[in-house]
Formats: sequence, C-alpha cells, structure tokens
Amino acid sequence: MKTVKSDMSEVLLNVENIAISFGGLVAISDLSFNVYKGEIVSLIGPNGAGKTTAFNIITGFLKPNSGSITYRDKSLTGLAAHQVAKYGVVRTFQKTSVFDGNTVIENIMMGLHLNGRCKVWEVLLGLPRVSIENTRLEERALEILDLVGLSNRASDMASDLAYGELRLLEVAIALAAEPALLLLDEPASGMNPSETASFMKTVSKIRDEGTTILLVEHDMRMVMGISDRVVVLNQGEIIASGTPKEIQNNPKVIHAYLGYGDEDA
Amino acid sequence: MAEFLQHILNAIVLGGTYALLGIGLTLIFGIMKVVNFTHGELYSFGAYMIFMFSAMLGLNFFLAIILSMVLGVLLGGIIEFALLRPLRGANIDTTMLVMIGAWIVMQNLEQLSWGGVAKSINHPFPLDPLVIGEVSVSWIRVFVFFFAVILIIGSYYLINNTKLGKSMRATFQDRDIAALMGVNINRVYTATFALGSGLAATAGALLGPVFVVTPTMGDMAALKAFAIVILGGLGSIAGATIGGFILALAEEMGAGYISSGYRDAMGFILIILVLIFRPTGLFALKERYG
Amino acid sequence: MSRWISILWLAFLFSIPLWMIDLYVLHILINTGIFVIAAMSLNLLLGYTGQLSLGHVAFFGIGAYVSALVSLGFDLELTDTYTFVFDAKPVWIAFLSGIIAAGLFGWLIGRVAFKVRGAYFVIVTISFAEVVRLVSLNWIDLTEGPMALNNIQPFTLGIPNLWEMTLYQKIPNYYLVLVVAIVCYILIRRLVHSRIGRAMIGLRENEPLATSVGVNVTHYLVIATVISAAMAGAAGGLYTHYFRIIDPDIFLFIYTVTMVIMVVSGGKGTLAGPIVGGIIFGLLPEILREFAAPEMQWIIYGIAMILIVFFLPDGIVPALKNWWKNHRSKRTDSAEMDAGT
Repeated sequence: MKTVKSDMSEVLLNVENIAISFGGLVAISDLSFNVYKGEIVSLIGPNGAGKTTAFNIITGFLKPNSGSITYRDKSLTGLAAHQVAKYGVVRTFQKTSVFDGNTVIENIMMGLHLNGRCKVWEVLLGLPRVSIENTRLEERALEILDLVGLSNRASDMASDLAYGELRLLEVAIALAAEPALLLLDEPASGMNPSETASFMKTVSKIRDEGTTILLVEHDMRMVMGISDRVVVLNQGEIIASGTPKEIQNNPKVIHAYLGYGDEDA
Repeated sequence: MAEFLQHILNAIVLGGTYALLGIGLTLIFGIMKVVNFTHGELYSFGAYMIFMFSAMLGLNFFLAIILSMVLGVLLGGIIEFALLRPLRGANIDTTMLVMIGAWIVMQNLEQLSWGGVAKSINHPFPLDPLVIGEVSVSWIRVFVFFFAVILIIGSYYLINNTKLGKSMRATFQDRDIAALMGVNINRVYTATFALGSGLAATAGALLGPVFVVTPTMGDMAALKAFAIVILGGLGSIAGATIGGFILALAEEMGAGYISSGYRDAMGFILIILVLIFRPTGLFALKERYG
Repeated sequence: MSRWISILWLAFLFSIPLWMIDLYVLHILINTGIFVIAAMSLNLLLGYTGQLSLGHVAFFGIGAYVSALVSLGFDLELTDTYTFVFDAKPVWIAFLSGIIAAGLFGWLIGRVAFKVRGAYFVIVTISFAEVVRLVSLNWIDLTEGPMALNNIQPFTLGIPNLWEMTLYQKIPNYYLVLVVAIVCYILIRRLVHSRIGRAMIGLRENEPLATSVGVNVTHYLVIATVISAAMAGAAGGLYTHYFRIIDPDIFLFIYTVTMVIMVVSGGKGTLAGPIVGGIIFGLLPEILREFAAPEMQWIIYGIAMILIVFFLPDGIVPALKNWWKNHRSKRTDSAEMDAGT
C-alpha cells in the first residue's frame, strides 16, 4: 500500500530514558525511542500522555529531569531551544503560532533566520552583500511558499489568513529553518477532511525532499495513512510501537486508545 | 554596638510601613498583573489627606488617619473602575502606560492643589523619645510601627480567612478557572486595587507626620514598593512583609555605614543584585515573565 | 512615492534655518530634535523588540555626562597619594566616548535585565536609571553633584590646525542635530529591514516561535539594547554640548516618560512614529507654555497619554496609514462604479 522510504540503518534521533515531572506530577516516566533518517514517525496517545512534553524536551523548551537526547552523535540534552534549531531540529506548536503582525512572506523570512549570514556591522554599514542576501532570502521564501501552496497569499497579513492556511504557514515557517528533522505538533487539528488530505500530500512531499518527520497527531486517518512507524504513548510510557498495521491490531493500544478503530475506516 | 542596635531598631520601625506599601503593591501586581505606577501617588494622597484633616481642619489625629485610609480605598476603587476596567484583557504594557499617565496627572494635581512647599503635620505624641538602654526611638514611630503591624495582620486575616480573600487567592492562581467557578472577577479586581491603594494611603498617612509631605514624595515610595515586591516575589504577601523589613535594613545600613546620599539607592542595588543572583526573587517560586 | 515624500521632508528640514529668523524657534527645534533622536533609539527597544525599557534616560544621561567629562577633563583622588588625572580632550572624541560608554552600559544592562521579562524588566530598568541618577548626585568629586557641570565646550567642526569652526550659534547646531538624526534614522531603517531586525520583530511577535527557528533571544535583545543605548548616548552628547551645562536632573524618570509618550503616540515599531510623536510632544510644551502653568502642562501630557492608549493604541502613524488606505480603496471603488455606469 505504501512504500517505506526510510533507511532504517541510520538513527537520526535517539531519545533515551527521558523523564520529567512538574511539581510531583509525573508527565513522562521513562521514554525511549529512535527516529530513523527519512521516515515519518507518529507519536500518538490519549490526551495528557506526554506527547507535547516530549516535543518540548527534544527541542530544548524544557529540560528533562533525567535521560538523554542524541541527534546524529551530538547530544541535544540541555541545549537551549535556539541551539537545537541550529542543529536542524525544528518544531511547530500545538496552538496556532505565527508572527501575527507581519505579512506571510515576512513570516517565512523570519523563519529563514539561520539561513542568513550578515553581521550587525555589515547591516549598519549597508554593505551591498546585505541587500544581495535579502534578495536571496526573499526568493527562498517564495520557493517555500510554493511548496506549501501559499504563494498567492505572500503579501497578505498573517492575521488575515484562514485557519487551514495558518496551519500551512506554521509548517512553512518551520521549513524555512531548514530542518533535517521536523517535529509537527498536531498540525491537522481543526482542518476539514479535504484540507487534511491535501496537507498529507504536502507532508509527504516534504519528506520526499529529505526531511525526516516526527508527528504528533490525533487525526488517525492522517496518522495511519502517512506514517512509516507509530509509537504509542500512554501515561508517560511507550505501550506499543510498530507499523500502522501492527498498531491497529495491538490489543493494548485498542484498550488505551478506545475509539480510534472506528475513525480509521 | 549601640549605633548598630540603633540602626536595627530604626529599620524595624520603618520596615513596618514599607511592608504596608509592599503588600498593597504585590496584591495588585500578583492578582491583576498590573504594574501600578499610581501606588506612590496613593501614598502621598494619604499624607495630604491627614494634613488636610488634622492640620488644616483640626480633626482628631487618629480619626484623620482613619479618614485618609477610607478615602484611599475609595480613590483606588475609582481608579480601577475608570481606567483599568475598560482595559481588561489588554496586555501588561498597555495598562502600564495608562498607569504612568494617571501617575503624572495625580502628582501634578497634588502640586497644583497643595503647592510645592513641604508640609509638616503635628502629632499628639510626646516629643521626648522612648529610651531603651542605649537606643532610643520617638513615640510617633512606635505608634506608626504598631499601627502598621495591626494592618499587616489584618491583611493576612482578610486574605486567608474571608470569602473575598478566598476569591482573591483563586484569581491569583488562575483567573479563568476562578471565573468558571463563579468568582466575580471584576469585583475581585476592584476590591484588590482598592485594598492595595488603601494600604498605600495609610502608609502615607502614617509617615506624613514622621517626615514632611511633598508632592513628589510618592515617587520614591513607589520605587521602594517595587523594590520590595521584587525582593519578596510576585504576589507573595509574606515576601512583601519580609521584603519591606529587608529594604529598611539595607537602607539604614547603607545610610549609616556607606553614605547617607545612597540611602535611597539601596533598594535599587538590592533589586539588581537579587535579579542577578536569584532571578526568581527571595521567596517566590514563580517564573519571572510577568 | 514615499521616496519623494522623504526628499521633500529633507528639503523642508534643511531649509528651515534659511527662512526662520526667530532664533528661539530654532532653539526649540534643536531641543526637539535631540529628543526625537532619543525617542527613535527607544523605539528600537520598545517598538521593535517589544521590551518596555523605562530606564532609557540613563543611557541619554550617561552619554551626556561622559561626553561632558571627557571634554572638560577631570581628576579623581583614588588614594591619598595617587590622583588620577584625565586631560581635556577635543569635543568630537568626547562625543564618541559618550556614545561608546552608553553602548557599554547598554550591553551590561542587557546582560542583566533580560534574565527577566515583562513587569520585572520594567522595574529593573527603572532601578538602573535611579541608581545612575543617585550616583551622579552623590559622586560630587566627579560630577559636581547638584552644582552641575558648567562651561562645557560646544562642538567644533573641521580639521585641527587648518580650519575649525566652533558651534556657538544656533544654525550650525541645528544642522548638526539634523545630520545625527538622519544618520540614526538610516541606521535603524537598515537594521529593521535586515535579518537582524526581523529576528527582533520575530521575538516581539512570538518569542517561542522565533526561538524555535533558531533566534537567540538574549543575543538579539542585547544587540538592540547596545545600539539603542549608543544612540541615546549620542542624543545625550548633543544635549551636553549644546546646552553646555548638565546636572543630575537629566536622569529624572519624567524624561523617560516623555520619550515613551513620543514613541507610543507616534506609533511604536514604525520608522516615522517617534519622529511624529517627538515633534508633537516636543513642540506641545512650547505651545502650552503660553497659557498653562507647568503642572497643567504635565497634566495635559498625562491625559494625552491615557487618551492615546485608549483611542489610538497603535499610535498616530499607523492610524493615518489605515485611514489613507481605506480612503484610497473607497476612492478606487467609487471610480470603478462611475466607470461602470
């Protein structure tokens, strides 16, 4: 039904034994998993299972109480969020999150931050390379908008976008940061079925261009239709992991995640 | 040694009033997320009111203090109702700008109505100080200290043991959940602001007779109140109480052993040190992203 | 179109001394210009990075004091036997020293203050300004305290020993302030239209998102503070060598408030905002002076501030832009309707 394009031999991200609790409340007790280069992995589980917390830890927004995160031989544990982004690990947010007061293309250009090289003094002196770089970034921004299908809205204010377009813009901003590993936090929530369908194509396209994807999503149609592998989290622990087919037939998952079977027609 | 003890005693006596100022501000800060720049003006308002009632109209000194307190509560309520209620949900910078505007207006209204000349207020206490061993303290300061302590205890009681206090604590924890649970947020806000303002006005009414009353006296008071809140941590009444005493102590020691010119600088130096070495405040656990 | 407007503006500003004979008006314009520069510098922090810094006057005052002291020379009795003597330097060196000193303090404060945000940041910045004021008031050996620093040299232009001109008159001082203001404007414009400016705007709009795409928040906030502080220091240097006397009152909180009003009323985060706001609130006291006591002027200031926040929260410039946009679209609509009939 679907060809697995990932190369299971190269571990891109290794999450090992991370644990975190907030004021005595255990959010993640002991979480370990790998993400291999080129695959789409989904992290699923009921609300409060610790998915977003795991994202926050991987991307440096939270520090785990214990455990380690390794990305290609380099340790990400304890790095600040902007440093994690520099390594090519970029995330989106569960709650719609764009730069509201700016145009769509400006949003992408802000996402292209790491792509630019100009120093403060070069900018202040107004050196020619600054405007050359600006033009280059602008062209790149248009390419990215093209990829997600928002080029017709380039000069509109982000706050004027429709909900589905906003979610695409978020992904586009993250893409601008040139991730090798892209973490999407419920990107399809609030989308209607046709928007979700076209969004799935976009995600596949992004993966085909060489970006590995770690996905948190509640929409099971999307998870099962797009993932190479699914990891199921419940109450801060992994209860199952495998291909979508295996997961669908796993009794533990069905027990913890009642109701998903109906959705996945 | 006697000098040292004298400084400690002065600090304790002054600290009571500082704590009042700090509690008022920290309540408003913690519950409403408003940086109240009018706090110092409420303080000088209290001082002018006791001047008016006691020195000009010749009312009983203690009655004048009570009246100043009541008027401070009223004025605070009016400010909240007129300026802050329409801005509910606005971000913290917006309300801050409005409060700065209100502060400028209030201070200059005071200057217009009372003139720039410092006013002094007589009080009914004996002028000979109370001497305890090698140290001494004036009777008015003793009175001010005990009055402040009573009010601090009263504030604790109000927050911890009354229905209003319960609503205030719920709002502090989480405004939205409190609203869902049936707390009337508008009422809590107005009450908080009025209470905080009343405490500031009382502090002014208490210290007015100790020092002199000038239109700009509120500026330093406001900045000191900020320092106390930073020291004690956002929204912490206990923190503000202790912070008030720490600030008073730092000022006394700074003035006594460094230079009297730097008395007023101590609070700011403390703020900066606290934020460098313990950014969460001395007593707070909350993140500092007010 | 906007290019032509800029050229017309510049031509107008440069022509003022040619037809304005009233030197008092020129004096007011110089004073206003200095505050416009300070407001522009504050706008970089307040408008573009979104950090409400209420200690901005400290940078202005540090620039002023350092520039004054370097140009006057000073000596400090460090120990009983050793006195550090600093000889007077030419004014342009003093002016640069003031800018650098202010920038350094900006760096220092940036490193410390950005550990906290929101209300705490505001209070830290106020505290910093108050400490600096109290130091200037009490370190009498250095600053003369409330007695003020007097007889500060005015600016000198030209090449030493060849041709020099000392700016005693209003007209050359006017041009000097104008040129510095234009330079600051250009620098800020370059900055905000670059990736560095975008990083600043990004963390104002959505700090977590900016961080997630690799913006090092503290780094860019510190950069903004250093540049902003240095520009405020330049404004302070201009002030010092134009008025030729400064005292610790230069650090009063009310001056920060004035700058904030200028930025907010004009439109924070816009290039023209602080200029428009600066001109309005720079000239307003002169107009009010005719018929209102100083207290009344301040009351009007305060009320204006409240009204602006309530009714023009984005400021005058964005409001005008919106109005113009609506006006234009209405006109094109009606033109199309005319064509249709």
